[in-house]
Amino acid sequence: MKILESQNALLSNYEVYQHIVDLRKRNKTQNRRVPGNAHHIMTEVISYLRTQPSPLAKQDETQAYSAEAISRLLERLREANLPSELTKGEVLSILNLRPTNSAVLSTAIEDMEERFTEDEQNRIVDIIVEVLGRDDPEGQEEGADGEGEAMEEDVVPSIENGH
Amino acid sequence: MFILTKIADLVQIAPEDFRKQSYAALEDNINAKYANKVLQKIGLCICLWDILWTSEGLIGQGDVEFRMVVFRPFKGEVIVARISDQSPEGIHLVTDFFDDIFVPWTELPEGSEFEPTENLWVWKEDDQVMYFDNNEMVRFRVIAEDWHDQTPSKPTEAEGTEEAAQANYKPPYQIIGSMNGPGLGCCLWWE
Repeated sequence: MKILESQNALLSNYEVYQHIVDLRKRNKTQNRRVPGNAHHIMTEVISYLRTQPSPLAKQDETQAYSAEAISRLLERLREANLPSELTKGEVLSILNLRPTNSAVLSTAIEDMEERFTEDEQNRIVDIIVEVLGRDDPEGQEEGADGEGEAMEEDVVPSIENGH
Repeated sequence: MFILTKIADLVQIAPEDFRKQSYAALEDNINAKYANKVLQKIGLCICLWDILWTSEGLIGQGDVEFRMVVFRPFKGEVIVARISDQSPEGIHLVTDFFDDIFVPWTELPEGSEFEPTENLWVWKEDDQVMYFDNNEMVRFRVIAEDWHDQTPSKPTEAEGTEEAAQANYKPPYQIIGSMNGPGLGCCLWWE
């Protein structure tokens, strides 16, 4: 084995999510079995990405994340005329965390207080919520739609008891 | 949090896999070898992303260049995990797919105290008391990582017991985190 490039690209959680969901669909239609270790970790990654407060928790129903939504987010942020440009890592963190208030936004943006006024912080949050939506903070885990419904058939029961 | 790593490797397709399409055979082979394994200084491999190039298949084996999805949060990145265990030394966190995250007590918010009777940490801010409950989802910042090559070392004298081996176990890849700062700690605090 030889590592040609240790970091060829950064992936957003959404891209990883979509990759695994697509693989599972393909495996189902082609009736393919993946090696046990790969099946295991892919199941765990998906279950992580579907756990609140992950913004992908309700992706199956809302389809809030898409290639179009991401480019729209970038466009809206550009149009907002912010005094300081967001780095690639910061945009990635915004996508992965989907902050809905400035305290959480500050975890995604370095030196946020110095770079952006309160007003600008609120504008960024508004854009995020407008483009990527938000899940109601109430009704946390057990939403109105009953439990287990988001699970896929090929999810093996987890060892943990949950919460 | 996730990256792509470009790798070249020799892949052998065993005769029983000749009935598979080449791409499928390569994919299964690579996933079987890498998925859910830690590569030192690279990260935890999740699954194959794509195959970039393959040599002509020779008898027995062929060269393959491919990209793996790898879990490797960058320094300074904030991610979400679940509290799994606590001690006076700090708080252990896990994600569904990765178990080795530790937040030392020095990286908890100022005013945090360990409650030995309940075995958990609480954060006292003004007159508010907030609990780091087990199983709670938290946001933490990656501040450091520890790598331990799992290559077996030569046996050492006299500590042949199972417990000693257990106590000496060091995870291949451990993330050290901080929960000190706005937006960090239990997600519910910041709703």
